[in-house]
Amino acid sequence: MIKVMRLNNKAAKFWFKKILWRHLVGLAVGAFSLFPLVWMISAAFDVTGQISTQQLIPLHRGLDNFQQLFSSTGKPYLTWGRNSLVVAFSAAAMQVVIGALAAYSLSRHRFKGRRFTLTTILIVQMFPQLLAATTLFLIINTFGKSFAFLGLGHQLPLILIFGGAALGVNTWMLKSFFDTLPTEIDEAAKIDGAGHFEIFLKIIIPLATPVFVVTFLLSLIGILNEYLITSVILGLDSKNMTVAVGLQQFIYGQYGKNWGPFTAGALIATIPVMALFIFLQKHLVSGLVSGSTKG
Amino acid sequence: MKKISRNSSFIVTFSIVFIFMLIATKFFNNDAWFLAIFFYLSSGLVFFTYTISKKTPGKYLLPGVLLLSLFQIYPAFYSGLVAFTNDSNGHQLSKEQAIAAIIQDSKVPVDTSEPITYQTFKESDTGEISIAFQYPKGVTWIGNSNYVKKIDVVGSISRLAGFELINSEQSANYADALQNIKIDLDSGVTLEPLDFQTLEASQPTFTLNAQTDELTNIQSGETYVPNDNGQMVSTSGEILYPGWKVNVGWRNFTSIISDKEIRRPLLAVVVWTFTNAFLLVLVSFLMGLTLALIFNFPQLRSKKIYRTLFIIPMAIPSVLSVLVWSGLFTTETGVIDRMFHISTPWLTHPLWARVAVLIVELWSTFPYMFLITTGAIQAIPADIIEAAEIDGASNLKSFRLIKLPLVVRTVSPLLVASVAMALNNFGAIYLLTGGGPTFSNSNGNAGATDILISYTYKLAFNSQEGNNYGLASALSILNFILVGAISIYGLRKMKTMEGIN
Repeated sequence: MIKVMRLNNKAAKFWFKKILWRHLVGLAVGAFSLFPLVWMISAAFDVTGQISTQQLIPLHRGLDNFQQLFSSTGKPYLTWGRNSLVVAFSAAAMQVVIGALAAYSLSRHRFKGRRFTLTTILIVQMFPQLLAATTLFLIINTFGKSFAFLGLGHQLPLILIFGGAALGVNTWMLKSFFDTLPTEIDEAAKIDGAGHFEIFLKIIIPLATPVFVVTFLLSLIGILNEYLITSVILGLDSKNMTVAVGLQQFIYGQYGKNWGPFTAGALIATIPVMALFIFLQKHLVSGLVSGSTKG
Repeated sequence: MKKISRNSSFIVTFSIVFIFMLIATKFFNNDAWFLAIFFYLSSGLVFFTYTISKKTPGKYLLPGVLLLSLFQIYPAFYSGLVAFTNDSNGHQLSKEQAIAAIIQDSKVPVDTSEPITYQTFKESDTGEISIAFQYPKGVTWIGNSNYVKKIDVVGSISRLAGFELINSEQSANYADALQNIKIDLDSGVTLEPLDFQTLEASQPTFTLNAQTDELTNIQSGETYVPNDNGQMVSTSGEILYPGWKVNVGWRNFTSIISDKEIRRPLLAVVVWTFTNAFLLVLVSFLMGLTLALIFNFPQLRSKKIYRTLFIIPMAIPSVLSVLVWSGLFTTETGVIDRMFHISTPWLTHPLWARVAVLIVELWSTFPYMFLITTGAIQAIPADIIEAAEIDGASNLKSFRLIKLPLVVRTVSPLLVASVAMALNNFGAIYLLTGGGPTFSNSNGNAGATDILISYTYKLAFNSQEGNNYGLASALSILNFILVGAISIYGLRKMKTMEGIN
């Protein structure tokens, strides 16, 4: 403190007084937010494979964990990865398409029951699907008795279940974006003889592409993060699992916690998601923030 | 051009209607009434909306509404139905199926004075394997698992029209086929090959009297009648398994209050569910707001780097990061304990487990709070702040009287949504602590960090006492009502509902 007072340079004084502590806070909070990631990386390259006893910079470094990850019998990591991609991409696409259709109509058409629909969607959003996990399990079980491919252990019912959440997840966000697009363009197109579907296809969709990217990503991450319904529907057969559900077998296995391959697999799964997130953070942040400021 | 697209849309509509009809019919044949009705109705709605109806909104809303009804509203409704049944392990069959299973399971070998011998035959045309035997002595049968019929034969059976006799040396080649043979005679007796020459006869101990709806044990003479919990029970109180699914009225709900083993843990679970949610949202909102205020400082460089650092928790799939956290929280040898040279019973002591849960949840939610509060602060018009400064308001005063109320007002609907989410934050809790540490003598292993949804999950899928879908559904409904009431109350209070346009 005394040192600071002695400095007569005004800019430096300002820096010490107003800027330095902000950097310190930033670094401390940054350390907090990176904490598990750093240890995930460290454990993934530590050949002893113990998250609990390890050092930040492992003493014995190597790729053994990755080898073990890809060669474990009964734990097909690549299959889990493919399952995750299939489920997440198809369900997210479904959520965006269904949400966009509904949002277009709610934004552009005036009809009886419109307010009711919007309110209902808002309330339904408050009842997360996972509350009904028990009954979804029983329903999909019934499905399976009539149509094997729609039963437990299959991906299609899971995709449909997430698709069923589409209205609650995306509609409001998309609608508030569509509301910002000037209706004059629609009117002009209408005069030129365009039908409502043509307007949607040729005017709204091209203009809204950035917001579709954001909703798609948010849906994708939401689905990849979902645990309860995924594990209940896909069941206990290892080859049906997704990465998130399957990787757990390494740490809840009968031979004790095997952190090495778990963290290796988690790291591989995290990198693409994180890269997408950071790459598109400007859009994501503006999407979330506009959600907050527009109410 | 227009005509072609019109025709193709008709074709698409009709094929969807057709497929829905087929699906509905299949469900109908398999007695899945609700689903059958749903698909019949859907096919009608699809047909009406896309061919007859002139209204456009329906054409855009229908796909979403159908999926929403099937996978969100119908499950909610179905929860309601299941909550009034005793659906659980050992109570999932229908009454007929359960009684058939009891009879089937009660089969015991019949004492026969001499062994029942059989001979193996191969059908000349199809190659199908059948066996011929006498039971009781003097009555000859031929058949396999698919059929059985009486035949008139005098003396030993060695030749049958259309069949080829397989002698005992060769019958070993047909061991697989013989092993699978199981013949049910109308008298209730079941016959199965014991080896290549003899059959074992078995007979159920129970017989059903269809008129009185009673099962009788032929050996002990005891009778069993159905009770109101979907079980066959004797006068001495002996229960036969499996049971079947029956309506139990409000019993699941009343048991929540009356059954001490459910009530005690549930009370703790409910209290923690709410403490956890409100505390989390409060703390992470304050943290986000503080950070937003600190880093919304124009002269500060590298703000973007900090923002990227802060949103990292949002970018890691939470299922994986929570599991990593659980490793870091290992007592004594874990990274956190070694870092601070402490030995904390994280995850095994009720209080510390709750602290650990809150830390992890805070880690995963503060980035979102930081982003939305930053947005809200930046949306405050600069002239309001300037006007306050001119009026001589101090920094603190302008924050307390102007910025804070404006920020709270903008983000409050999002805070309500955050509380609703936190009330159902299953992943963080289930994967970190598994809801534990477990309370002693509680139904379904409730633990100190269990929230309603994780406790429900344990009852439904992970219970030592057997999975109880009925009770789990009843709890889901209570959870529905609690979360919904809070959300609607919160939104009303915030007046967001009025802003819908």
